[in-house]
Amino acid sequence: MIPDLSQVGTSETKEWAPVDEAPHIMLDHVTKTYGSVMGLNDVSIAIKGGVTGILGQNGAGKSTLFKLIVGRLQPSSGNVHLFGTNPFKNPAPYSRIGYVSESEHLYDWMTGLDFVATLARLYGYTRDEAKEKALHVLDFVGLGDVANKEIGKYSKGMRQRVKIAHALVNEPDLIILDEPLAGCDPLARTTIMNVVRELGASGKTVLVSSHILSEIERITEQIIILHNGRLLAIGNLHAIRELLDKHPHRILLRTDNPRGLGTAFLPHEDVYGVRFPNSDELVVETNNLSSVHQALPRICHESGIRVTAIENPDDNLESLLGYLVEGRS
Amino acid sequence: MEDDPTDFIKEPTVVPGQISKAPTQVDSTSENFERQVEDAVQAQALATAQPPQPSAQSAPAAAAGAAVTQFQRVQTQAAQAFRPLTNTVWSRLDRKATAVTEFTLRQYRTKNSTWVVLGIGMVFVAMILMFYGEAMSSGFESVDNDGDSHDYDGDGYPTGQEKIYGTNPWDENSHPDPELVTPDPPEKWIDEDGIDWDGDYSNSNQGFDDDGDCTGVGWVDNESFELPRNQDTNRDGINCNVRYTMNSTTNTIYRINADPYVDEDPDDEEFLKESLHRAFVLGFGKIGFAFLIGIFVPLFLATGLVRDEMERGTLHYIMGKPIARAEILAYRLLGYIALVWPYATVLILVTAIVTGFLAPSDSIFRFHDMSAWLGILLASWLMMLAYGTIFCTLGVISPRFGLWIAIAFGVWEFAMAMISLGAPNFPLTWLSVSHWGIEIINCTSVLAYPDQSYLIEIAGMNNDWGSEAALVGFYSPPSVIAGNSFASLLISIFVLVVFTVFALFIGQSSLKRKELN
Repeated sequence: MIPDLSQVGTSETKEWAPVDEAPHIMLDHVTKTYGSVMGLNDVSIAIKGGVTGILGQNGAGKSTLFKLIVGRLQPSSGNVHLFGTNPFKNPAPYSRIGYVSESEHLYDWMTGLDFVATLARLYGYTRDEAKEKALHVLDFVGLGDVANKEIGKYSKGMRQRVKIAHALVNEPDLIILDEPLAGCDPLARTTIMNVVRELGASGKTVLVSSHILSEIERITEQIIILHNGRLLAIGNLHAIRELLDKHPHRILLRTDNPRGLGTAFLPHEDVYGVRFPNSDELVVETNNLSSVHQALPRICHESGIRVTAIENPDDNLESLLGYLVEGRS
Repeated sequence: MEDDPTDFIKEPTVVPGQISKAPTQVDSTSENFERQVEDAVQAQALATAQPPQPSAQSAPAAAAGAAVTQFQRVQTQAAQAFRPLTNTVWSRLDRKATAVTEFTLRQYRTKNSTWVVLGIGMVFVAMILMFYGEAMSSGFESVDNDGDSHDYDGDGYPTGQEKIYGTNPWDENSHPDPELVTPDPPEKWIDEDGIDWDGDYSNSNQGFDDDGDCTGVGWVDNESFELPRNQDTNRDGINCNVRYTMNSTTNTIYRINADPYVDEDPDDEEFLKESLHRAFVLGFGKIGFAFLIGIFVPLFLATGLVRDEMERGTLHYIMGKPIARAEILAYRLLGYIALVWPYATVLILVTAIVTGFLAPSDSIFRFHDMSAWLGILLASWLMMLAYGTIFCTLGVISPRFGLWIAIAFGVWEFAMAMISLGAPNFPLTWLSVSHWGIEIINCTSVLAYPDQSYLIEIAGMNNDWGSEAALVGFYSPPSVIAGNSFASLLISIFVLVVFTVFALFIGQSSLKRKELN
């Protein structure tokens, strides 16, 4: 054992008492640059409790934000507080967080149980305690039956789940999940989403990032939107959706008689136009999406025209960002 | 902002003109956040609030309150001090140290490069041992230095025997009576006058004329013209001896002056094998174990200890835990040491055992090399530790160029090692790890071979052996404090430890400031 005397005051060798009442995460005008590239630009947030979705396209700054929070990076300017402490200089708050990075690299030669138990021992657990806790969390994420299988033989979804398991082994108060659904099959996605929802329901603070709006929508209503390193919006996803609904929006319908169906839609007071991009497609343009959606079944039924598909091409993150940033729909 | 670190929430950072299109809705949706923040602000205000002023109390009451607080603090400290051992910080550090060390060892086990590097080291040692075994098992033809084993006149009696009996070795008709004196076999007159040295560096009067060709002792005619007229050519006032010029402080011999025909025909094979064996122990110890294995194993096994994890993006699994970065570096090195020290020990032990059986010795096993091997083991351990720490630190400082810098450093170390072998007092070599490792072996070899300089000097007198070059090349007396091998040993160990600690400190400082992107 080599005690690290240089860490006195920052490691566990000193009593560390977090201010429980403080936000778990607090960023104060944080900017992070990589040379001339702006990773995060003057972001200020405070988070405590609940599940918060971080939405943003690739390169928006989601991972940078998480890396700053967990002390992998230090801000170029501003301050980051994790449980009231600077996470870059002090590893003590790590005992209360679980972090799942976006990195796909794992120790493929280890079994899932080894991986989780070995890392659990870094919280100061004994070998037996670590193994017991590792088995528990592996069960929780649905990997109990493959705990003794090498990680190299895991599927993508299992790899994501073992990463989540390792982040939960210390029963953290704050869980940070960077793109946990990336590359997962539908079954794994459902499992992971359920895990995240359960964690939120159990009173943990959960931060989960994604660049897919529908994924976040299924997990939480509380979102933070990042765009080009800037904090674009904080709030309730449904409220933002309502806001969007009041602005130009498109509904794409596939049918063998688009013109007939378009004629049926035109009398509706909230429809201001129809287009026919293809011989089997109808685009209905509206300023009130929910109103048209409510009327849509009736109009289709009354017209007697068969509709094979309904899509909302503007119902994605790109459209949302386009609206928020540029005011276009 | 410092007064109220959360007031920025009251003015959400959004792109102007976007959220403001419907400020009411968005503001209302962020109500949850604002409520949290307001709670947080209040909580922080409470947490940072000053305690009630003592001025509100009477002075004695305040004093009593302070005493109670002090007593409670002492009680808390005592309770902390007597916690069960398993709950102390130290035992938790132990657990972390063991976990990282174990993890590092298991990681080594899964890497092909580990087995390749360790395997090459083993093959290298095995090959050198084979060469050594062959050298020791093959015989050396002894040289008749004074030529008295020859029968020049062909009368059947060797020259040495004829001189004793006073007959003419150049005349075939002049020889002892065959009925009274049987001719000696020629081998009797090879190696018949060995070197007599009592190992006392303070006694300059050494040597003994075993065959009597200086003193005439045992000769029929001790006034023979074959005996030297001047029996004290070394001018020390003693006939037929060998004068040694020595330094009893440094245990070194500077010069050997022998009177005529004294100690002139020693057992060449014995000296040759002994000097070759010692040259092997020192040479292989310094170059093979301490330097080559000592630098190549760490180069390939330690440089990537932290660097590889940073490059692969897996270091955060360990660093994201409540463990200081400096600890991670130290414990990773601990894992490296747990692999390479036993490895070096096994290699050196095997070499010591094999050479112990094959080396020239009066008994089956040659024990008196053990202190030299222990010195080599110590030097290997410390050099592997120092090089490992330095290379690991270079990997941390520059993940991209760390290996190349380490290779350049290795070239420097090689140059310094070569200079240290030839000129151990050259000051520049003191800046290298290899110099101090070699110095440790120098110190312990003097303890193991107190007659080292004697053997070198004797080997030097017999140029026909050609073996003195190897021994002279690999042997150096301690150079830090001349004549005090123990003090030199301690200083060398201390310097290597200082190098290690310094490199560890640099590595830890660098890692603490490193961003893991």
